[in-house]
Amino acid sequence: MSLSRKIAFVDLTTGKIETKPISKELRRKFLGGRGLDMYLLYKHTKPGVDPLGPDNVALISAGLLVGTLASASSRTHVGGKSPLTGYVGSANVGGFFGPEMRLAGFDHLVIRGKAEKPVYLYLHDDEIEIRDAEHLWGTDTRDVQDLIRQELADDDIQSLCIGQAGENLVKYACIRTSIKNAAGRTGIGAIWGSKNLKAVAAKGMRDIGIAQPKEALAYNKEIINQVTSAKVSKTMQKLGTPFIWGVTNSTGLVRTRNFQLNQLVNADDIEPESIEEDLVGTAGCFACQVHCRGKYFIKEGPYKGTYDEGPEYTSQGAFGAEVGCTSKNTVLVCNHLVNYYGMDNLETGSMISWAMELFEKGILTLEDTGGLDLTWGNDETVIELVHKIAKREGIGDILADSPLEAAARIGKDSERYLVHVKGMSNLHSDERPTPALALNIAVSSRGSDHLRGRPAIDLYHLPEKVLRQIYSNPIPYDGPLTSDYRDYEGKPWQVMWQEHLYSTVDCLGICKYHTVFLGPNMPAYEEWANLIRLNTGLELTPEEIYRAGERGYTLERLFNIREGMTREDDKLVDRYHDEPTPLGLPVVRGRFIDRDKFKIMVDEYYAHHEWDENGVPTREKLEALSLNTLDKSGSEPSNLV
Amino acid sequence: MTTSKERSSLQERAKQRTTGAFRCLSCFKRLSPPKGATHYTCPQCNYEWRVAWFTPEEPRIRGPVWDSYEQLTQDRMKGGK
Repeated sequence: MSLSRKIAFVDLTTGKIETKPISKELRRKFLGGRGLDMYLLYKHTKPGVDPLGPDNVALISAGLLVGTLASASSRTHVGGKSPLTGYVGSANVGGFFGPEMRLAGFDHLVIRGKAEKPVYLYLHDDEIEIRDAEHLWGTDTRDVQDLIRQELADDDIQSLCIGQAGENLVKYACIRTSIKNAAGRTGIGAIWGSKNLKAVAAKGMRDIGIAQPKEALAYNKEIINQVTSAKVSKTMQKLGTPFIWGVTNSTGLVRTRNFQLNQLVNADDIEPESIEEDLVGTAGCFACQVHCRGKYFIKEGPYKGTYDEGPEYTSQGAFGAEVGCTSKNTVLVCNHLVNYYGMDNLETGSMISWAMELFEKGILTLEDTGGLDLTWGNDETVIELVHKIAKREGIGDILADSPLEAAARIGKDSERYLVHVKGMSNLHSDERPTPALALNIAVSSRGSDHLRGRPAIDLYHLPEKVLRQIYSNPIPYDGPLTSDYRDYEGKPWQVMWQEHLYSTVDCLGICKYHTVFLGPNMPAYEEWANLIRLNTGLELTPEEIYRAGERGYTLERLFNIREGMTREDDKLVDRYHDEPTPLGLPVVRGRFIDRDKFKIMVDEYYAHHEWDENGVPTREKLEALSLNTLDKSGSEPSNLV
Repeated sequence: MTTSKERSSLQERAKQRTTGAFRCLSCFKRLSPPKGATHYTCPQCNYEWRVAWFTPEEPRIRGPVWDSYEQLTQDRMKGGK
């Protein structure tokens, strides 16, 4: 019962809908969520598919544990071929949609084709309706959800949706649900916009089916106690993810003014404790007791009185340090606007800060910007640019494209100032003093990405003994591990381990904040084996779960290689190697990534993965992961789905 | 019900938690400021930190005292440390 789950194939061109069960074999291999989506992406797209064409897919997958009461198990994955990078498109989101989709009778959706007119899908009672959305086109991410609830006369309906940014094919438009939950990265919102798909709504009363309900509930409680008693959770309950700022900006690890500085000095107004003064409470996702999402009203200026949620650490950087703004109000307003329009806050801030550096260097002029003064710290300009990007107006039309496309349109050596990997902008962290974090973004499967393999605990100066307990489990590892985040040794293993960990939790639908991401004493494979067994009845060892995460990650690598990626793409921009950090504490000042040592790290990273010197998974590795049935043409002969 | 084996890993790791302290970001010494303190200077490296309390027992670094931060850093860099 608990594993009798369905996948639906929806063709928006023809209106045809087909449902199939998910085989147990496929479930054991990929679990659910991100892993299963990667399988579906590889199988149901052809090499070179146009990301914004009808042959790309829009994928939605609930994690394996979504809908159960396992701690923070609300995460739902969305995917497709990314219009931002041309490689893997992948993001996941919390909130309440995933459980509702499961209650409606569906775990996975593969949406193909293009609707003639705007539509939305309504999932309920094992049925899927394709409904007219012409009247919803042009609405923001809040209104569309409210209007769907009104139209269907049900306040409990949960929706994934796009805002105006997705409709306008902003290359980093995202998928939204609730007030601020975002599947933020790689531009999945633009895929939906290209298909005239405004939203997917769900409401259901089906039985989720828990394998051992009493035992599952008792064990879930233990996990919840473990998570909520951790210092990192207590901090997030009070401050949300902005708490990270205290360590990173104090040290000098915050990308500032695009990439010219590594610290925003005297920016006390955007410190988390200052932001907290504006919060009126916190909110949480389904089955989560941490409640890390702030609730606030904007206190001053034209947006005074506006309610929103957040901001996340990414908004602090995107609309603070990166653009040189030190005003909390600017951070809160811009956070509201990206929520409203449905855009990735990180990419938005990065594109604006890049434009500001181009303006400073005379590459962009007032004529190019339509009279906007792009001087660092110009709060009004930053806010105005968010509007212009979402609407593709003026200079905003260029900045709404992917970084590499925008650089090609501007020319004049502007690409040199982009801070990106594989065409996706970096988080506002400065990784020059931290080789592990630098390697993580360079090799990540979806472009520069802290959420794919960042060993964030590397910053905690943990004793080697603790590191070894974490990183030798469930796969033995006796190589080097060091407490010094400036070292190069041992870091490739940490990055690979974290990649598989994050891949695994994205398959399970568990929030990363409930595992070894920001806190060392958090649940991992042993606990997940118990959660899976008690909640779904699926018997998997910790190593089998680890291998499932690895399988999904390897498949992302294979997809990228199929789409043209080579070792040359696993790199950092030159500034990481050529421009030492000018600010921060002595431990980080004057640091840069050594080219030779970086190359050695990449070699070691490939070797740990059992990929060849070009970063291609070996035949032996593919056989070990049962991925050897994927042939070079991209067809998948096993026909599991 | 949960077996002892299922519990062990979680509880073993939880035992390693520390309370009432944070690490100096400059020298990594573990610091335990007096309860309620809003500022604390590391006795080992002299960096002064602004302190916030996310629970009545748990302190964290809010930020540096910027006035002395840059001067201390310049001095350290000149000294080659």
